[in-house]
Amino acid sequence: MASTTAYKKGIPGLRITYTPHPITDRPAEVCRKFLEGKSPHSGKPLLDEIIEAISKPLSAEDKKTGFLARELRPRFLPPDTADHLQQLFIDGNFTDGGPVILPTEEKVAEMLKATSRDPDEIVGTMRPSPPHEAWEYTVEMVAINAVMAGAKPEYFPVILALASTGTSSLFSSTSSFARMALVNGPVTREIGMNAGIGALGPFNQANTTIGRAWTFISKNLGGSGKPGETYLGSQGNALSHGNLCFPENEEALPKGWKPFHVQKGFKAGDSVVSVLSGWSLNNIAWYSQLTIQDVIKNWLSHFFSYGIRQATLLIDPVTAEYLYDQGFDSKEKLADWLAKNSTTPAWLYWQRREKQKELGKQGVEPYAGYLKLGDGAEIPESRYIRLPSRSKPAPSGRAFSGDAVDTENSLEVVVVGGGTNTYWSGGDFSHLSSAEVDPWR
Amino acid sequence: MKKQIGWCALAVLLSAVSMPQAAPAQNAKITVMNPRGIQPPIRLIPMPERGSIEGKTVYLVDTKYPNTKPFVNELYRILKERYPKTNWVLKEKIGNYMVDDPDLWSEIKEKAQAMIMAIGH
Repeated sequence: MASTTAYKKGIPGLRITYTPHPITDRPAEVCRKFLEGKSPHSGKPLLDEIIEAISKPLSAEDKKTGFLARELRPRFLPPDTADHLQQLFIDGNFTDGGPVILPTEEKVAEMLKATSRDPDEIVGTMRPSPPHEAWEYTVEMVAINAVMAGAKPEYFPVILALASTGTSSLFSSTSSFARMALVNGPVTREIGMNAGIGALGPFNQANTTIGRAWTFISKNLGGSGKPGETYLGSQGNALSHGNLCFPENEEALPKGWKPFHVQKGFKAGDSVVSVLSGWSLNNIAWYSQLTIQDVIKNWLSHFFSYGIRQATLLIDPVTAEYLYDQGFDSKEKLADWLAKNSTTPAWLYWQRREKQKELGKQGVEPYAGYLKLGDGAEIPESRYIRLPSRSKPAPSGRAFSGDAVDTENSLEVVVVGGGTNTYWSGGDFSHLSSAEVDPWR
Repeated sequence: MKKQIGWCALAVLLSAVSMPQAAPAQNAKITVMNPRGIQPPIRLIPMPERGSIEGKTVYLVDTKYPNTKPFVNELYRILKERYPKTNWVLKEKIGNYMVDDPDLWSEIKEKAQAMIMAIGH
């Protein structure tokens, strides 16, 4: 990651050395042992490498000026057989590892008929993660990738809106992010997206190919997704295969529950694609004498993954109706109750609160009281209450339209599924941005 | 039976005739569009000259990746012990590890021969 970042910043010769891993939360004596040892990468003494890096004179290569060579971009690839081109696309990392619909000029032209936008219009910029340079792409380039994914032309405005968010579905972090494309509004019915039984599974052409197109756009137009260079997720993420592309089941929303896009400031009649970011999902149907809201609350208290301060709940319509009958006549009311009533395990609470722990030891409340509860306690503070500085959502990029909505908690609620079970899924996803579809028609 | 043999013979004949026609279609070359986007130019940034660190100033920057401070502090202690003739300056950048700190970078360019930054987990 460090060497790729240095290259992308125009310093390919930046000196880099490596320590054993991890260094996070290691005591001083372990850190000293690492530092007095050898680099696991070169096998040389680590401190010698550091000193050499900052004192050895520069080489002729280091002193080069000008520009780094970049990939040329002819509009067409050299002619070849279909089989060879399929392999070229796979070997060139243009696909998800599988074969694609080859983007002939005729197929791309057919796709372009679904938008009034000029093929040469710039849709946006995208990068694998902040240290990388942003790539730029046109309407035609997005169409090429939509064809490859197997999308029908009528899906194209949704794909363009998704591309306009500038969000890569393959964010480069060692922690293997996943991204979600949630679609709301009339377009979901128009193009036959599945919000019912199996909505999150591989059962619907629109859900599947819009999600697949996002992968191709991220790789080919956003410069993402080359393992070891522009994708550093150690294990990768299974959810990245389809990028969790699905519509909210708006027809099954209980009375008073607003569609997701309306919660974000759009009108009910707007068609909107929203991008959420996280890592994982738990799928849960828990039969007990507890109410479902209590089960969700307990899950929120104890769930942890790489992301611990936000969650998104994907609730089946049957579960949504149950919760409505329990008195939750809006998503906001449910999220607020869950945020206020969930707790934090002591081990997790104290992990990143060294100052508060010291105050607690000095008798300062509420920390002193929390410390008395012991290591196995549940601290009566929720992780999902927004800190004052985070009280406004921070939609990234110009694609966000609609009024920013002030929320006091970091919980999102989406209704999806076919009502065959009292089911819900929960994960560490949070809303990044939303984009209207209609301007891309 | 004779009729069946006749049909079989005809089928073999037809396939023999049609096979050479299928081969060129498979080998036909087609032209497809380039799926790749527009990559911006990357300008090379020259690195500053370097040499002996004796009597020089070297900054050690804590990026504030969560819970890596003990590691950075220990590196600072070791460098001071082993290279006492160098002026080691330990600095925390502003914000979290994702936040840029242009003022600090300017300060380092002005005052230091080199910078060491610990990145990661």
